[in-house]
Amino acid sequence: MHRSTRSRRTGVLGALLMSAVLTLTACNAGSTGTAGSTADKSKLTVALTGEPVNLDFTTTAGAAIPQATMSNIYEGLVSVDQTGSIKPLLATGWETSGDNKSYTFTLQQGVKFSNGADFDASDVKFSIERVKSDAWLNGLKSKMDVVDTVEVVSPETVKVNLKRPSQAWLYSMTTLVGAMFDPSGVADLANKPVGTGPYALESWTRGDSIKLTGRDDYWGMKPGINNVTLRYFADAIATTNALTSGDVDLIYNMQAPELLSSFQSNPEFQVLDGTSNGEIILSMNNKVAPFNDKRVRQAVMYAVDRKEVRDTAWNGLGTLVGGPVPPTDPYYEDLNDVYPYDPAKAKALLKEAGAENLDITFTVPTRPYATAVAEVVFSQLKEVGINVKIQSAEFPAVWLDQVFNRHDYQMSVVLAVEARDVLTMFNNPNYYIGYDNAKIKDEAARADESDVTTYIAGMKNVVRTVVEDAASDTLFIFPNISVAKAGLSGIGANSVTEALSLAPIAWS
Amino acid sequence: MNFNLLAGSALVGLVVIVAVLSFVWTPYDPVRINPQVKLQLPSAQHWLGTDNLGRDLFTRILVGARITLLVGVVSVGIAVLIGTPLGIWAGMKRGAVEEITMRGADILLAFPALLLAIMFAAIYGASTVSAMAAIGLASVPGFARVARAGTLQVMNSEYILAARAASQRPLRIARRHVLPNLAGMLIIQCSVTFALAVLAEAALSFLGLGTPPPVPSWGRMLQESQQYWGTFPLMAILPGVAIAVAVMGFNLLGDGLRDRFDPKLGRGKA
Amino acid sequence: MLIRIFKNLARFIVTFLAATLVVFGIMRVLPGDPAAIAAGENATPEIVEQLAKEFGTDRPLPVQFWDWFSGLLRGDFGVSYVTRTDISPLVLDKVQVSLILVTLAMLLALAIAIPLGTLAAVRHKKASGALISALSQLGIAIPGFLLGILLVSLVSLRLGWLPANGWTPPGEDFGDFIRRIILPVTALAGVQSAIVMRYVRSAVLETMHEDYLRTARAKGLSPMKALLKHGLRNAAIPVLTVTSVQFAALIIGAVVIERVFVIPGLGSMLLTAVGNRDLLTVQSVVMVLVAITLLINLIVDVLYTILDPRLRAAD
Repeated sequence: MHRSTRSRRTGVLGALLMSAVLTLTACNAGSTGTAGSTADKSKLTVALTGEPVNLDFTTTAGAAIPQATMSNIYEGLVSVDQTGSIKPLLATGWETSGDNKSYTFTLQQGVKFSNGADFDASDVKFSIERVKSDAWLNGLKSKMDVVDTVEVVSPETVKVNLKRPSQAWLYSMTTLVGAMFDPSGVADLANKPVGTGPYALESWTRGDSIKLTGRDDYWGMKPGINNVTLRYFADAIATTNALTSGDVDLIYNMQAPELLSSFQSNPEFQVLDGTSNGEIILSMNNKVAPFNDKRVRQAVMYAVDRKEVRDTAWNGLGTLVGGPVPPTDPYYEDLNDVYPYDPAKAKALLKEAGAENLDITFTVPTRPYATAVAEVVFSQLKEVGINVKIQSAEFPAVWLDQVFNRHDYQMSVVLAVEARDVLTMFNNPNYYIGYDNAKIKDEAARADESDVTTYIAGMKNVVRTVVEDAASDTLFIFPNISVAKAGLSGIGANSVTEALSLAPIAWS
Repeated sequence: MNFNLLAGSALVGLVVIVAVLSFVWTPYDPVRINPQVKLQLPSAQHWLGTDNLGRDLFTRILVGARITLLVGVVSVGIAVLIGTPLGIWAGMKRGAVEEITMRGADILLAFPALLLAIMFAAIYGASTVSAMAAIGLASVPGFARVARAGTLQVMNSEYILAARAASQRPLRIARRHVLPNLAGMLIIQCSVTFALAVLAEAALSFLGLGTPPPVPSWGRMLQESQQYWGTFPLMAILPGVAIAVAVMGFNLLGDGLRDRFDPKLGRGKA
Repeated sequence: MLIRIFKNLARFIVTFLAATLVVFGIMRVLPGDPAAIAAGENATPEIVEQLAKEFGTDRPLPVQFWDWFSGLLRGDFGVSYVTRTDISPLVLDKVQVSLILVTLAMLLALAIAIPLGTLAAVRHKKASGALISALSQLGIAIPGFLLGILLVSLVSLRLGWLPANGWTPPGEDFGDFIRRIILPVTALAGVQSAIVMRYVRSAVLETMHEDYLRTARAKGLSPMKALLKHGLRNAAIPVLTVTSVQFAALIIGAVVIERVFVIPGLGSMLLTAVGNRDLLTVQSVVMVLVAITLLINLIVDVLYTILDPRLRAAD
């Protein structure tokens, strides 16, 4: 009696467990999976870190969305090539008026959206006006503020009138604000994107992967590989493990430089060391003590050995520039000599400012580059008598809230990825850096309204002023490292746009 | 003295000595980087080698013991200070107090340390403090249950019945008669919880929700070593061994204490 | 007995309700307006305001709570502000992944722990028993993720026998599912088996001193045979208890292993949602985890009440 009750109890629990397992294995948990034969030349699996939260960049911030969708699902009238110059895309050409205030675009013919609708001048008008409307909730929409009106001249011709001449506007049209939409395709952009690009969204398993398929009715060159899977990983180590065991074919924008050595020496793989638009910015809150004192900021600039930071934290990869402009921008110049590494000068400046034995808090976002950089900066500042307390801020949420929105910080470090963002960062005293833009405001406005040569010269002056004022320290330009199987070609080594362009990639 | 108690005391003692030593003496500055000597194997200058930033690993292991002990002591402290009085109260008062306290413990039990820590990190940001608070709170129900069970046993004993008959105040009874009788069980629980806290801190640091850099914590050191598993495994082995030593020490200590205080409770129960 | 079961049920309901309040309460302390977070780095006040209206986060808290709670009862977690999709089907999908992973790991752990623990108890005076005990001490002391990374380095990267990470649903390609789940299940089960083994050992040790086992041995059965025939069943209660407790703890504890092996389970979903400040999803996942734990407790309590005559008699 005693015993039989107990055996029944064991039986019941066992049966429960077993039936649970059986029911579960029968169903399709986890939906579409990771498996995929990589020998198949019509397939490509790309490893990325940081999954998009949804696919609608018109309402949602975050670099992962344009990375997956621009150039692949969406296209603009113009695009930039690997060297950073503007090229035709959906527009075959354009003309500017004498006063540089209007642009007339001639459109590519026979272009269809992935939902079958035709692309013409009315879609351009719709897309640009939509950016200016309440439908767009992405702060980048302000790039379209300069547009006054859009006229449909003919189905193949569209004229955009600006309120004032602007050199920066045409460049903005290569970014996500210039993406072309169709009125019939904007109902559920978060889940069902509709664009003119070479790929269409096949499926999306959240927490795992996005599958794209090449379009048969694409107007241009067919993509080199028809079925592309973008697989998202939590960290860089998982991506290299997946590449080593053959689950993925390409790691794009790899975030663990220390892991490169094993791939560099292996002939089965290729390593592409490109540049990007991302600057690693060591920001100092210009409005709050002690960094409201220019001398203290300058002391930091002298105290931080940028070369050692890059070599130690990022294994020597990345470009040293000295200012917040990547070498691929037209107004780039080498500003490394403005503040060379000089700890003695740093100490002298701190003494002059009465800030010896300074205690500061360094708010570091939880990203591999940031923690790596922070440890080196910590040690270097200690050498000149600045005692740093590192406080980690979960990225993006806590960092955005505390540093970016509430400006509640003294020092921070972040990778600024937006293209041509000098003015975003420094021409706005209410930005989290808090740089007083009185000296650069007028010059920046004049430069934008003038011709190309004056624009470049003016912007160079603006950047130099910002650097001389020690508004913040640009540690280095973030490298764009890709690791791929040896047989892949057409991978854009440089990340000069926000997109990862998949169509040119092919197996050789 | 049984073997478990001996081995446990020795390992725990080692961790404590190492932590105390680190306050008095370390061969190098634990956070100062020195890229010229990065990733070196053990040598006369660096007894256990150096890490990817050229920091002395021996120094970092020494200093890391502090964080391990700090996390353990504070989180166990939180659990003891909240859990024990609640458990004793529930055991002495019975009725509604017991019901409410134990239901509260049930709710808390549904939030394991890791879950609480993830939520706390989301609210206050990742730090040693929020990790300790999470591990501590998650361990409260364990102490409350042990204290209540012990109190229930003691409450029927003759000397407590006598004390109640002499109408001593409950607080006095709790302090004079109940608590001393629970001490053995509570110490065992402390030891086991301590081991769990060390493991939880390691897991949290691995997820980036624990101690921020550059302070060396063993869990953090493990996480930082990930890129070097293939090329320089020493960076991973050292903190791994250190964690295992600490956890094993506290577990063995708990087992040994249990055998000593209450051989009937059975050997090797966690 | 029925009364006791009803009591258990009532407790479950009260605890569950209290838990919903706790979770909602904690989530609302989160720093940062969800609308401001969603708007991101280039936000303007107008955009934030518009988003708050769209999300409904500008409404009074009791209204928001009721909205969420009533949906919860219908099994509808609502539409995430951040991902702009229904949360329920996603959570359901991830729950299955987590349950498969944890169930398999627990089964493997039991398959290792029961024989080894029994052996350790039967031979507790011999060297082999001590060795098994020492191994279990070591197993408990090693963090699970460390074991996981070790397995990846050795089995996948060095030897190339199994994939390093990833997940394939069993219904899609069963062979690949097995190949990918072996390592994470082993990593999880390694630590669990060490924990369960200690309980098995002490439970069996206790049973060995019981009268009926002595009687059985007196009848001429060898110690092992006597134990197998009569003792194991009696040692099962504490083992089942620890199994259920560990099972509940593992569902969230597996997050670290999910991270190492890139498995899209509940833990990964929770971490991602926390990172994105996806409040509703965080709330939903936490609630599901809490509900699973409470449900397991309820089932165990009820089973004990039904099956254990001693418990039935107690208070």
